[in-house]
Amino acid sequence: MANQKEYIRNRADSKISKIVVDRDLCIGAASCIAVSGETYELDNENKAVVTGADAADDSTLMMSAESCPTKAVLLFDKEGRKVYPK
Amino acid sequence: MNQYKYLIIGGGAAGISAAETIRQTDKEGSMAIISDEPHPLYSRVMLSKPNFFLGQIPFEQIYLKSKDWYSTNKIDFLGGKKAVGLNTSENQLTLSDGSSVYYEKLLIATGVDARPWTVKGSDKKGIHYLRNLEDGIGIMEAIKNLEARPRGLASRAITIGGGFISFEMADLLKMAGLETTMILRESYFWEPILDEASGLMLENAMIKAGVKIIKNYEVTEVLGREKVEGVRGEASRPDLEASPRELSCDMIICGIGVVNPIEWLLKNGIATNKGVLTNEFMETNVPNIWSAGDIAEYRDILLEENVQMGNWVSAREQGRIAGLNMVRDSIASSENSVEASNKQAFKFVSFYTTQGFGTSIAFIGDVTPKPDRTIIKRGSPEINSYARFIIAHDEIEGATLINRNLEMTTISKLIESNMKVSEHVKEIEDVNFDLKRLV
Repeated sequence: MANQKEYIRNRADSKISKIVVDRDLCIGAASCIAVSGETYELDNENKAVVTGADAADDSTLMMSAESCPTKAVLLFDKEGRKVYPK
Repeated sequence: MNQYKYLIIGGGAAGISAAETIRQTDKEGSMAIISDEPHPLYSRVMLSKPNFFLGQIPFEQIYLKSKDWYSTNKIDFLGGKKAVGLNTSENQLTLSDGSSVYYEKLLIATGVDARPWTVKGSDKKGIHYLRNLEDGIGIMEAIKNLEARPRGLASRAITIGGGFISFEMADLLKMAGLETTMILRESYFWEPILDEASGLMLENAMIKAGVKIIKNYEVTEVLGREKVEGVRGEASRPDLEASPRELSCDMIICGIGVVNPIEWLLKNGIATNKGVLTNEFMETNVPNIWSAGDIAEYRDILLEENVQMGNWVSAREQGRIAGLNMVRDSIASSENSVEASNKQAFKFVSFYTTQGFGTSIAFIGDVTPKPDRTIIKRGSPEINSYARFIIAHDEIEGATLINRNLEMTTISKLIESNMKVSEHVKEIEDVNFDLKRLV
């Protein structure tokens, strides 16, 4: 899909190197923010944006993506493989 | 096998979130999820969203877990079965197919049911609810299969009820090209959760998009032979006249609230009120039984009252806390620990958002109107951006936002901090004041 925004992650202890928010899928339910308010915010279009790509550890980040009711948060590892959603 | 260390009744957001949380700590403990639906976890939220409903994204996108996820995580999925009986002294659950399952730790996360419309004729074909995947598919199919009306006129839909189902469905029905009429028993939209000014903002957005709204109207009969052809009604207030007496339609979508399926729990000592009562640890009054999600009426330690919060985000969080406490309790008892398990309390400001007709709505915390509550207003309908802060005991209990969703997370933090509002009323009222400065 076209309307995806990518956020690069540079955390030494992390296997996840990229967070992608699909803005067409995002409905602003804000479940990701409930799990990790340090990572995400809503913007003025009511879509999630990443404001702290390195803020959360991998398991919290994974939970934040899994919590999304529209699978709008995608996670990629250092080799560029999608780790969520599978 | 019919005995499990962890048994979860309900395969929705709360149940799955609990299962995920348990598996983070206990990788091997036997676990089963009972669901009255045959599907793996799907997104109930997406059922009423335009991109799914109008087929703009693949249908499969609605599934949040694959069937493999359950087996990979060593979870038995007992789909298409309903829990119908519970014997707490034997730790035994009876299922709708007559079988029995035994548990060590049990989670009741059944969710709630759509309130049935009991008006005369409400058993006719063409009346829809939106509760589960089948309902969503049913509405999509019904719209596709509506018979063409003469001279190319659009088919006609009626929505019953003034809440988020009606709001989201009216948006979808308009997008699908139907002539859409919303019938409200109340005198404005979403009364009494919203004030009249907020309700009228939403009504205006809907009217602008071509939705007809009939207020103060009580349907007394659904017309038609086997299938709905229209409704007949009367004014919901004696001082008004019903207008119109009858209204034709081709389909009806009904969103008039929920009912709590607790009858099966009433004989076995589990404390209930409207829902299943729990403390702040999501524990019921019976040992080894927790509850989470829409059905749980939990002790909210931020609001200092018992509440039910029927939304996705809250269900996920409640499930996580219940799962955590279940697994910790299990570890504590297996180690024969004399110390109490390290319980975690559910402390969460719930929020719910929706969008439609170019308008965004957010509810934060507890927005139920009660006599001891006062309101602080921020913004106004005139600037098409309006928030209400609901105040009790000099603290913010909740807020309703229209076109101000940007402030949602900040307001959640203010509720969580138990900030005394009396010193900050002017700042809250000033739309140019950045609320983040109060956090």
